[in-house]
Amino acid sequence: MLSDLKKKRYAILLITVFGMVLSYPSQWYPYNFRLILTSWFGANDYSPLPESKISKEISSELSCPSDPSGWRNEQIIDGVNIEESLPCMADNPHAIAAFVLGTNNVSNETLRLSGLTADAVVKGRDLDEDGDPDEIHIKLEVAELNGSSPISERPVTTYDIAPGVQPGLWVFAPKFVGMAVENFDTQVARYSLKIPSPAIRIEQGDIVKVTLENTHYMPHTLHIHGADHEFIDSNGEGNDGVPLTSELPIMPGDSRTYNITPRKAGTMFYHCHVQPHVHVQMGLQGLFIVEENRKNNHLQTMNIGAGKVRAPSKALRESYDSEYDMHYLDLDKELSVRIQSQNDPRLITKSMHRDYDITDANVDYFTLNGRSFPYTFRESLVVAKENKKAKLRVVNGGSKGIALHTHGHKFTVLERDGVQIDESNQTPQDVLWLPTSQRYDLELSFFNDGQHAYGPGIWLFHDHQNKGVTTDGIGPGGNISAIVYEEYLDEFGWPLTRGVDYTQYFSVDYYKKQLPIWGAYAPSLFAEPGRDIILLIRVLFFALFFGVFLANCRFIFSKERDR
Amino acid sequence: MNPSKLLVSILIILPVTFAVAQNNGDTHDHNMIIKYTGVVANENYDALPNGCEEISSERQISVYTNKRFADGVPGAIFGMNEYEWHLEPCSRVTVTLINEDTIRHQWMIHGLPKYLYPAGMFHIEAMGGQSQTGTFIAPSENQNYLVHCDMAQHMEMGMRGQIIVGKGSGDLWSVTGITNHFYRASYLPRYIIYLCLIVAVIGYLLYSKLVPINRKG
Repeated sequence: MLSDLKKKRYAILLITVFGMVLSYPSQWYPYNFRLILTSWFGANDYSPLPESKISKEISSELSCPSDPSGWRNEQIIDGVNIEESLPCMADNPHAIAAFVLGTNNVSNETLRLSGLTADAVVKGRDLDEDGDPDEIHIKLEVAELNGSSPISERPVTTYDIAPGVQPGLWVFAPKFVGMAVENFDTQVARYSLKIPSPAIRIEQGDIVKVTLENTHYMPHTLHIHGADHEFIDSNGEGNDGVPLTSELPIMPGDSRTYNITPRKAGTMFYHCHVQPHVHVQMGLQGLFIVEENRKNNHLQTMNIGAGKVRAPSKALRESYDSEYDMHYLDLDKELSVRIQSQNDPRLITKSMHRDYDITDANVDYFTLNGRSFPYTFRESLVVAKENKKAKLRVVNGGSKGIALHTHGHKFTVLERDGVQIDESNQTPQDVLWLPTSQRYDLELSFFNDGQHAYGPGIWLFHDHQNKGVTTDGIGPGGNISAIVYEEYLDEFGWPLTRGVDYTQYFSVDYYKKQLPIWGAYAPSLFAEPGRDIILLIRVLFFALFFGVFLANCRFIFSKERDR
Repeated sequence: MNPSKLLVSILIILPVTFAVAQNNGDTHDHNMIIKYTGVVANENYDALPNGCEEISSERQISVYTNKRFADGVPGAIFGMNEYEWHLEPCSRVTVTLINEDTIRHQWMIHGLPKYLYPAGMFHIEAMGGQSQTGTFIAPSENQNYLVHCDMAQHMEMGMRGQIIVGKGSGDLWSVTGITNHFYRASYLPRYIIYLCLIVAVIGYLLYSKLVPINRKG
């Protein structure tokens, strides 16, 4: 005979099993069982799907900041003609004037307004008496962006490639006076500190010295890729920047001067060659452009962060309306976070050079001239004038290839790695494969002939590999930029687009994957759905019954006695 | 050079430098002159801070920057010969930054009275191998001030000090060799957690062995 207690246990067993069956969501019953139920009772009654969540207020920054100092305007500074730069954000024209004349030749006022040191770019004698200086001495420093600090949890000297996206970066930087940040109340890096490293422009035959002052906490070198230079310079010093073959790395606090007198013109490249699989990828790379020799050819020796050349060479002005330096660079967040997660240089070195395995790596961010969309629309638009032509000097400094594609235009490849392509092979194309470190000079024609151009508008150009138009998988992002005809820019330099609202793209939340993708124009249709509360309650009840059921079973199978 | 000669030459050169700095300084936002040797910004030779009736004393400080000073400090890359300076309130301080590295360095004070120093800053910057001299006047209150090199990562990698005016107001974090980092790595491998668990078990066993359970009744 069962004891009273055992009876109670069996009663509870029945109740819990019954409760579990009732509370178990019918949408999760086995398929065949559901068919049988349907044949008996028909379909379930309607219960509405969860309502859409009310989307939270999007806090976003201004898409196009104003330009109170008039940096965008065409202007003459110390006699240097500086072309206008129509997009929202332009470089400091005083720095451009100082780069053209040399920091030793500009007025004190221009030098002060430029922010450069007096020895940043020193220009010397005119050796061939053709009206322009041929002795050029360039200083480069090394800066870290979005690095770590022993007194702050957040990155220091910050640089956003897109709203709120701050990967750790290293750059060669022009030599500026003063702080690394914009002012005392912010950690935002000043405008001179950005990726890519500045595009350097010299003239064929110039006697060029580049002094690398290693202001960073790791060893670095400067390797000039593609422009001819001696393996050992006239002082008997290694001159190729390669620790494996020519010289020891430059240690923190030390500096070294590289000597170069290139005989051939063309679009070349420079980068660090210490642990290059990591250091190049961190941003220590820039365009190195050798211009053809012309009379009175005063060159803009540096172009900070690449982009439009606002004081272009004589040769460029002969054939083109404008010139753009286009530097593509992809980044791996698993690498760049390593300078942010610790502060001790020994730990950083171990993490970057031993723990990080590039053979298992993938890339997450895709930048053009140091920014991803939407910031590319502030500073890296190609501005088109009908019936004119632009020259684009393109390099892919990233670790993966790029399928560069232009909307509304077919461009012509003029040169590859600084060497002219035979004219019979110069056929217009709208996709160009850019392998790592390869340079192409492109001609972009704005003659509306149905092939080179299809007429005025806002025409995107981007990597046609799908991941290249995302920022860590969120689109639109990556290296998307646009060819914009002048009449499609408003007075502040923002493109008069006719599609979706850009507000959400300028919010940090969007790139943190917190906002619905089409929230801008379909807020209710594709909004975040709410939770199914009824389902949640049923699941919790099921769990409760299941717990009681298990406990009860334990008592049934144990040798329990009445007390 | 004979030390007395050196002293004499310094005494001659210093006032000349002040004069040049003061003549050129007024036209600039930050009271700044850019020279081949470097920059001094927001020099103040005679304007008294609130609460000071007169210059209380004269003080000369020589700051040497050299990566060699970081040698004995684990985790530091850049260094200075000193990281802490005690100043008398209202004293006139003449700082000479002697940069022995071949790269740029700065010696920058933050948080000074903004009515005397734009943005509350006094700043000396010397190019590689150069030295620069500048003068400021210490405020009247007891206060600690941050001194650092504001080149990217130089403060984080060693060039962080403090000025203590009077009795000061409490040490700042991460002053090289003087106070600790606020955020500090563990320097321990991850498997240490298992070692901790084993030690905890040992503790449990030891305790149960040594202190027998008291069974009443």
